[in-house]
Formats: sequence, structure tokens, C-alpha cells
Amino acid sequence: MSEMMAPPPPTVAAAAGVIDARKTYGLGDAAVNALDGVDVRFEPGKFTAIMGPSGSGKSTLLHCLAGLDSLTSGAVFIGDTYLAELSDKELTELRRKQVGFVFQSFNLIPTLTAKENIVLPLALGGQDGDEVWIDRVIDTVGLRDRLTHRPSELSGGQQQRVAVARALATRPTIIFADEPTGNLDSNSGTEILQFMRDAVDEFGQTIVMVTHDPFAASYADRAVFLADGKVVGDQAAPTRESIMDQMAALGH
Amino acid sequence: MIGTLARKSLRARLGRNVFIGLAIMLGVSFVAGSFVLADSMKATFNNLFTELSENTDLVVRAELVGANETEGALRDPIAGDLVAEVSAIDGVELAQGSLQRFAQMLDTDGEPIGTAGAPQIGASWSGEGPLNGITIKDGRAPDGPDEVAIDKATADRVGYDVGEQITIVLDSGRRDFTIVGLVGLGDTDGFAGATTSLFDDAAAAEILGAGDMVDTIEIALADGADIDAVRADIAEILPPRVEVVTGEQVAEETADAINQIVDLFGTGLLIFAFVTAFVSAFIINNIFGITIGQRLRELALLRSIGANSSQVRRMIVIEAVVVSLTATIVGIFGGLLVARGIIAIFNQAGAGFPDIGLTMQIRTIVVSLIVGLGVTLASVLIPARRAAKIPPVAAMRPELGFTALSASRRLVGGAVVTGIGVAMFLVGLFVQPGGGTGLAFFAGGGALLTFLGVTSLSSTVAQPVSRAIGAPIERLFGQSGKFARDNASRSPRRTARTASALMIGVALISAGAVFAASLRDTFGRVLDRAVTADYIVTDDSFQGLPPAVAQNLGELDELADVSPFRSIFGTIDDDQVAVTAVDPESFDELIDLDVVEGGYDGLIAGNGVMVYGDAADERSLELGDEVNVTYQNGLESTLVVSGFFDDNSLGGSWYISLDELERASDQTPRDQFVLARLADGVDPADGRAAVEGALTDYPQAGVQDNAEFRAEQEGQINQLLVVITTLLSMAILISFLGIAITLALSVFERTREIGLLRAVGMTKRQLRRAVRWEAVIVAVFGVVVGVVVGLSMGIALAIAVPNSVIDGVTLPWANLLFTLVLAIIAAVVAALYPAYKASNMNVLDAISHE
Repeated sequence: MSEMMAPPPPTVAAAAGVIDARKTYGLGDAAVNALDGVDVRFEPGKFTAIMGPSGSGKSTLLHCLAGLDSLTSGAVFIGDTYLAELSDKELTELRRKQVGFVFQSFNLIPTLTAKENIVLPLALGGQDGDEVWIDRVIDTVGLRDRLTHRPSELSGGQQQRVAVARALATRPTIIFADEPTGNLDSNSGTEILQFMRDAVDEFGQTIVMVTHDPFAASYADRAVFLADGKVVGDQAAPTRESIMDQMAALGH
Repeated sequence: MIGTLARKSLRARLGRNVFIGLAIMLGVSFVAGSFVLADSMKATFNNLFTELSENTDLVVRAELVGANETEGALRDPIAGDLVAEVSAIDGVELAQGSLQRFAQMLDTDGEPIGTAGAPQIGASWSGEGPLNGITIKDGRAPDGPDEVAIDKATADRVGYDVGEQITIVLDSGRRDFTIVGLVGLGDTDGFAGATTSLFDDAAAAEILGAGDMVDTIEIALADGADIDAVRADIAEILPPRVEVVTGEQVAEETADAINQIVDLFGTGLLIFAFVTAFVSAFIINNIFGITIGQRLRELALLRSIGANSSQVRRMIVIEAVVVSLTATIVGIFGGLLVARGIIAIFNQAGAGFPDIGLTMQIRTIVVSLIVGLGVTLASVLIPARRAAKIPPVAAMRPELGFTALSASRRLVGGAVVTGIGVAMFLVGLFVQPGGGTGLAFFAGGGALLTFLGVTSLSSTVAQPVSRAIGAPIERLFGQSGKFARDNASRSPRRTARTASALMIGVALISAGAVFAASLRDTFGRVLDRAVTADYIVTDDSFQGLPPAVAQNLGELDELADVSPFRSIFGTIDDDQVAVTAVDPESFDELIDLDVVEGGYDGLIAGNGVMVYGDAADERSLELGDEVNVTYQNGLESTLVVSGFFDDNSLGGSWYISLDELERASDQTPRDQFVLARLADGVDPADGRAAVEGALTDYPQAGVQDNAEFRAEQEGQINQLLVVITTLLSMAILISFLGIAITLALSVFERTREIGLLRAVGMTKRQLRRAVRWEAVIVAVFGVVVGVVVGLSMGIALAIAVPNSVIDGVTLPWANLLFTLVLAIIAAVVAALYPAYKASNMNVLDAISHE
């Protein structure tokens, strides 16, 4: 763990990143290296897609970046904070204030209305948040007329839009999205991707999205490819075709 | 195959099953313990008395008519001369007179040695002999007027030993003795809790102040004598109203009397034990219900791969039976511990029970099995039927799982059951068909049905009510409070059922509190209105005060009026009645009986009697009518009605003069209490000092003014409430266990939700707070419903009781508030484990939980 003590300061301004990240599950012969020395930084105001086949370590990377899981060695930072130095309480606070989440499914608390779900991180911190900002977010995702509905009364796409709005509501340093379109039909999926794209372009939001779908990744400014726990590719302004080429090169 | 599945499932859900087992075990062990305790006490006492009277063939004693010793009736003593006369009869080997009177031992500091209600006995004893079962544990038998043997249990408790001096207060005054022996009954060290001092036979009559009388004569026959012939010969020489009976009969009577008391006590315990079992049923039902809900996909999968619905049902039932059988067996053994525990508690309080060997009867095992298995089967039947109805497709689409009974059907069903329950309860209280048994059946059954119905009804209001309870919590604790509130109102049936277990305990406590408060206030009003005496001298010995107490007080110049209050049983027109004797010259100045016609003149003149209005109306008595009474000793007397009164709340519907009573009974008079009023112009402080000075030789006499008397009576009523609450504590404990389990299961159900909350920034503390306040909302819901039900029951009960006991309803708000606060604290404790579990979930695992 000594590597964590003095990580080099980020040379380029980055919203978040990992330095020589290693994550090992199991012991001895049974050990699996989910992350095997990953170095990656995410520029502020950019939309980055992390791609890779199943078992490539992309979800592990996202979980470690978001402070939901810890590295075996290496360092994670969000803004100018190294996560290893934080207590559980500080980590929770960081998640509440600086990180937004969009999961593949079960994104909302069933007992809360759409509006309550959107402001949940703020409410947990005992804040009202910026009303004007929240209004703008709500309008952007087009949920004005659904605010008092509970998740069970919303379609899958609407639920996911609420989740995106919740992620945006605190104006976090970075939003992590884990296969956000995985459970949606293609129309709803496209809609969600467009919202995320708009959030980056209009609000300067930083978003990191894990996906295995080349079409989803084509909305990003950059695509990082992972295989067997290592970074094996990094494309700027990826298109569907360029991504599929890279995937094919990886043997998938 | 189904068996294997059941076994695996049991093992997989071990923690949950341990909880279910715990609830069953607590209920069963309380039930078994009640039986074991009663059976063991009976067996022990019966053996003891059979053993003690083994060598006593015949007993000579005064008759007792229309009353029995269990109610406190004392036989008259008989002439001591009879001992010699009986000894002279052919076939009598040995005849011994025995005497038993009040004797209060003092400890080394000169303070009276107390008992927990057991008598303080002084008796005659000629040393170990065939006629009584007294054995010497240490030292020797007393010989001469300065020696005493005392029971070893008391000696050990207080720290006396052979050779030491002891002061004993007797009817003849305060005297010092040397302890020469320590004794016990048979193998035991004591006399079933009574403090016992034994004096030399020859000196006892004088020491105990009995003159030349004895209580009974015990007779052993010579070998080969014909018991019937000897008995007939003895009967020949006996004066009227003295009888000779067999030793066997006396032993049986004593055993019967003790069995009655033990039965009463055992039944009381059993009622609370069944309440506990009933409450367990709610918890078990709830746990099974929730568990099956959570296993929905598993069960549907079983159905989709070909298990039929009866196999699913069988699997659930097998699981339940295995758990309950295990718990019941443990519970039966637990019953032995419960019985031991209760005996230990009583002995700690000074009851001095002999070393009781525990008796486990087949009946106890059978009832325990019925309760344990019955409670479980009743609890699992409906969940199992629901489980069996799960369509196979639910394996893929859980939302198709099962449909709950609609709210309107629950409302109708609940209302019908509640209605029947309330009707039965009221019929039991007010109509009382079939006497005591009918009362118990209707009132008890009605209460149970009411609880069931209210549970069903309360699930229809659980949502709004728990939202209302949660409103201030949300305002206070923000988002955590909101979660607590939302989650509590989320599954109204679960909340209602969890709360119902608590509701039952709270309802019973509230009903008891209403009853006690009403009793207390009625008593206060009676004191205010009727008692004009300044002092009430009470009897702390439970055997009555010697008449010297009243005599000494009567001689004081500081007091204007003094009257004892003395009772005897009698039979009037075949009804057994309590007849009260007072000093007719003073009584009117001490107690206002609300005399409506006539007065005390007839009592002063002689055989007058004052009659309570209702009792007089029943017999159509007019002033001057003659009433024939047979007193408990068999003497008959004719009383002349000389007045009517309207207030019998002090007890007693028939008042006669002390002179009339003395004419009627040879008994050593014992006063229940003595009333006194200060002479005009005497300072209360001086009066009190004088009264206390006159009673220094009577430590068993407690001097109380009106306020003190009231405080003491209120204290006793409060004690009653404490006893009820303590006996319900097992049920309350189980209900909080239920809250903890239900909450833990809910937390488990909401694993993913909790993961999401943690991911978006809820702290562990906030999460714990949310769980904790959810528990509080559920508990407060239970308390609120319980208080509503309990107050209604208590009010009905208070109205049903005769006005002489309770004449108005008092609502004990302070008690109820205290219950509420206690429930909130208990809920917080119950939430500790679920809250810890929720806050310590791994966030990532929780999110990906299926």
C-alpha cells in the first residue's frame, strides 16, 4: 500500500483518475487481477466512455473510481482528493457532493416521488440546493409533468431520466454511469445518451460511462478500452465504426 | 424430496428460524412453567401434610358452620380439660392439646421480622413426638416458660442461633426467651413461609394468652384399637359444637385449602402465559408471512419445474413444524427454569417455600405441545396457503406473485370479528352467564377476538396513522425521518401485525391501569366521605390485632372515640354473610355509614343489627323484624333489625355490637383494624404521640392518619398494577423481539434500496436513524391502538364492577404517557440490530443484490 502514500500530482488538470490501479480478487493460484496497473485520467467537461468485453475490469474500475470499492494498490482521486485517505463518513460525503450516479437498473427509491428522488442527495445533506439549477435540470430532462409520480408510475426511460437529473442536481465534479442504457429500448436509450451529451456540452459536466455498446460510446468525446485489467486503447472523438474496429482488433 | 428441500431451507435461514423458535420457546416455557409450579407446590404440600398427620388418628376440634378456614374463619378454642378426659378413653394411646396464636419475633435491633403475607405463629410443642411432623434441626425442644424453639429458615434469614436471646411479642405482651432449638417441618427448614416460635406445652397456654383453652386435640390410638369405636366413645363425652374427625380428613382439608390457593395462583399465571403464547403467534405469523414473500421467486421456480401446490404447502408446513417442535421441547425444559425462577423470586421476598421438587406431569407436556405446535400451525396455515397459490410464472415475473386480501375485505372481516369480540366481552362482564367460568370464557374469548379483529382493522388505517405519527419525526430528522415514515407506512399489513403484538400487551396494561386508577379514586372518595376517624390502626400481622390494642386506646384521654372492627361469618337464610362487630357507642363518630333509618340504639341495647339497604330489600326486612343467624361456630342467635344504611363500601352489610359477638363466640377476639378520633382541642401531634405510646408493645399495629392510610392503600393498588405489568413483561418482550425481527427482515428486503441510498450519499448514521425511527413509529402505532382498546376495556370493566368497589372511571394519563415513553425507548433498543445490519452492508454488494 506504500505506493499510495505519495502519488505524483496530476500533471494535466483532471476531474478524476486512477494511478497504477491494481485490484486482485482471491489469493494464490486462484487470484484474478481485475485491474492490472491501470493509469487513466478524466478531463473536466468531457464525456468519456469506458469500453471492454465482460471481465475486462471496466465495472471494477468504475466502482473504484466512485469510491464504492477499494483498490488493492494504486491511487484514486476525484478533484484534488485521494480517496484512500478518506474515512467511510468522508467518502459518503464525497459521493453525495462530488459524485453523481446512474446505474443500469434500480436507480430510484420506490417510496419517493420523482422530484424527491432528484433532490435526494441534497436532502440527505440537509440542503435545498439551487432551485434555479434544479428547475433547469428538470426542464432539460423533460420531467416537469412527472414530478409527483412514484417510480412505479414511470416508464423505464422516464425512470432513467430521473436518475440522470438526480446525478446532475448537486452539480457534482463527475458523474459515473454504469450501462445506463442497458435496460432500455433503443428510443429511450438514445434519449438518455442525448441528455448526457447535452449536460456535457451545455453545463460543462464531466461524465464517465461504462458500456459495451459501441452506439452508446459514440456519444462520448473519448473512448478508453480495457481488456484483462489493462488499458489497451484510447480513442478521441470515437465513432461507432472506429469503436467496432477497435473491438474487433481486441478479438471480440 | 420435499423433506430435503425443507431441511435445506431451514438451514439456509437459520437465523430467522432461531428467532421464530425463540418466540415459540418463550411462550411455551411460560405455559409449562405455570403448570409445573402449581403441580409441584401441590405435590410438595400434599406430601408434607400427609406425612405430618401420618400418626394422628383422630382430631378433636370445634365445629365450623357455613364458613371455611380458607376464607379466614377461625375455629373457636375448646376447653383444655378435654385433653385429660379424652386420654382416659379406652384405646387412646396419646392425646395432646395444641395451641396456635400470634407471635411476632423481633430481630436483634428490636424490629419486627416480616413475612411476605405468611402468618407469624406461636404454638405449643412438647418436643418431637409422633403427633406432629416437627423435627429438630439444631439444639433441643423448649422446656419451661423462658425457652423457645424457632424455625430454622427464619433463624438463618435473620441471623439467630441456638443459645441467643430473642424478644417475641405475644398477645400476653412482649417477652424475652432463650433460643434452645431450631426446627422445621419434616425435611424442610421452615413452615411454608410462616415465622414459627414453639413453646413448652405446659407453659404455652399462659405464654400465648389462651387461658385454659386449646385449639385442637390430636389423638394417637393404641395398637389394635378400633378407630370407629374409639371415635364414637370420644364423641359421647364431647360438649356441643365440638367434633371428632379422623386425622386423614384434617390432612385432606388442609391439602384442599392449599390446593385452592395454589390453583388460583396457577390459573392467574396461566392466563398471562396464554397471553404470551397468543402474542408469539402474531410474531410467528408475521415472520412466516414476510419470509414467504421474500422466497416468492424460489417457490415459483419450484412450481415451474413441476412441484404441485400441495408440495409447496407441505414444504412450508414441514419447516414450521420442525422449528416449533424443537422450540417446544426446549420450552418445556425452559418451563422447569421458569418454575424455579418464580420460586426463587418468592423466596427472595421471604416466602420461605420448602425445597420443592419439580413435577412434570404428562398433562403439562401435552398442553405445551398443543400450545407450541398449535400456535405455529395456526400462524403458518394462511401463509402456506398463499405460498401454494403462487403461479409458476412468478419465477420470471415476481409482480404476479400473490394478491393480498383487499383492504375492504379486511375492513369488513375485521369489523365483524371485532364486533363479535366486543359483544362477547360485554356479555361476559355484565350478564355473566354461567358464573365465574362463563365470565372467564366470554370476557377472555371476547378479548381475544377483539384483538384479532382490531389487528385486521388496524391494517386498514396503518398507513394514515403511521404517517401521522411519523410527521413530527420527519420534521425533526429531515430525510432520515422521511424514510422512517415512508417505510413504516409502506406495508400497512406488516406494520399493523407487528404493532398488534405490542398492542395486546399495552391494551392489557392500560385496562389494568384504568381499573386500578378507578379503584384508587373510588377508595379515596369513600375515605373522604365516610371516614371521620382521625387514626386508623392497621394490622400488619395478617392475623388480626389483639383486643388489648383497642382497650389501650380506649383508655387514652386524648381520644374521644375508639372502635375496633371485628368480623365473623354467619349464615342468614342459607346465605353465607360476613357480620361486622363494632362499638356501637363510638362507631357513628368514626364512620359515616349513611344511616337512612333507625340507628345504633338497638346495638347498644343488645341484639340489634344494622342492615345494608340492598340486603334488607332482598329479604323485605322492616325495622323491628327478627333475623335468625347461625354463626360460624354453630351458635344461633336472633337479631332485631334496628337500622338501615346505604354505604357498604367499607365492607360488610350486617353490623352488630361487640357484646353480641362475644356472646356468640368463645374465640379469642381479633380485630381487623381499630378506628380512633381525637378529643376536641387535642393537638394532633400530642394525640399521635399518645397513640403510639399506647401501642409500643404491639409492633404489628400500624398507626396511620387518614392521608397515610390512603397512601398505603394506593400503594397496594399500585403494587397490583406492577404485578400485572411484570406478568405481561414476557408478552411485551416478545412483541419487541417481533419488532426487531420484522425490521431486520425488512432491511434485508430493501438491500438494494439501501445500497442505492448509500451510493448517492446517505451516511451510516442517517441510515441507522431511519431504521430506528421506523421502529419507533411502529411501536407508537402499537401503543396508540393498544391504549384505545385497553381504555375501552378498562372502562367497561370499571363500570361492570359493583359501585361499592368502583363508582366512577378514572383515566390514568400519567401511566399511559409513561407506557408510551417506555415503548419508544424499547423500540430504539429493538432497532439496534437491524440498524447495525443495514448500516454495515457493503454498498457494492447491496446494489447488485438480487
